[in-house]
Amino acid sequence: MILDLHSHSVASDDGRAKVENYCQWIQRKELPLDGFVLTEHRQFDDTNDYRGLEDKFGLAILKASEVETEYGHVLVFGVNDDLKNAFDFARINNPIATVIEEAKKAGAVAIPCHPGRPKVGMCAHWKTSGPVEGVEIVETLNGGSREGENEETQAFAERYGWKSIGGSDSHIVSHIGRYATRFDDEIRDIDGLVAALKNGQFEAILPDTNV
Amino acid sequence: MDPAELKEKFTGFVFDEIELDINADSLVGFATACGETLPKFTNPEDADFQGVPNYLTRVHGTQALPKDFPVEMHRCFDAGKSIEFHAPVRQGDKIKGRSEIADIFEKSGRSGSMLFIVHRMNFYNQGDEHLATVDWRLVQREFD
Repeated sequence: MILDLHSHSVASDDGRAKVENYCQWIQRKELPLDGFVLTEHRQFDDTNDYRGLEDKFGLAILKASEVETEYGHVLVFGVNDDLKNAFDFARINNPIATVIEEAKKAGAVAIPCHPGRPKVGMCAHWKTSGPVEGVEIVETLNGGSREGENEETQAFAERYGWKSIGGSDSHIVSHIGRYATRFDDEIRDIDGLVAALKNGQFEAILPDTNV
Repeated sequence: MDPAELKEKFTGFVFDEIELDINADSLVGFATACGETLPKFTNPEDADFQGVPNYLTRVHGTQALPKDFPVEMHRCFDAGKSIEFHAPVRQGDKIKGRSEIADIFEKSGRSGSMLFIVHRMNFYNQGDEHLATVDWRLVQREFD
């Protein structure tokens, strides 16, 4: 099963894509995606219900969050009330140790995204401020990265033995699926995704696409 | 000041109000500048003559921010406008525009942290019909 684990809709302040338009694009372009995860910036989208779109397009549409820390941005999968009460999703300087630890306590998974990106990626801060405990997975393939940034992440992942995921980081419709993650398991909901991330049977991929 | 404190202090009230009269020349001029060719936007004799939907984005209030708002303009840039269209502007309308701060939030990006200030103008015609909501975003960067 192939999921794009990092995307933004109009629910994010800088997102320009409606969720239905992502679905239409995937269908029209016959992208090899079984679904995507909406990781809205500094919030968890409690309000929108995409079950109708899931049924209409035969896609899994899951919800997560992209929060901000002093070590850069972090994707959090499996957001629940415990986690939302553990730290302020709207802040830009949450301690990364808190995010990782509280995610683990709440049964969620925290994954630093675009770690090779200056200022908002973990690698640069790791070099200047020291290592971060508890990192197990990183986003080695990020669709918004510039030259050298994913390579920097890959080098860190190899050095420290981290698992890898991929995501487009799309903010506009045509960017969905630029990178993705292939899972061995069938994933139907966010609990299934969290379980799959915990069992480690996945890999970051560049989907076979003609876009 | 903390963004949450700024938001608490400066959102939720109108800090500026302007009035303006709408004439045909202004509507046609703006439509033409946008490259519009439909007669209802460019010909004052058209039965449905009106302003293009984004017409009210051209209007500014008399002040960008509330009095005493702690902004450092030398670190700011204009992050653009968006408009939510509600009803057409017509020639002869007497428009009121009311300014408020709709939101204040922080985000971090490649260039560091940024403070976003969303200046919202709501426009109404002489019949108090809500014509448009225009959000203008001003961004204050972390560095000069």
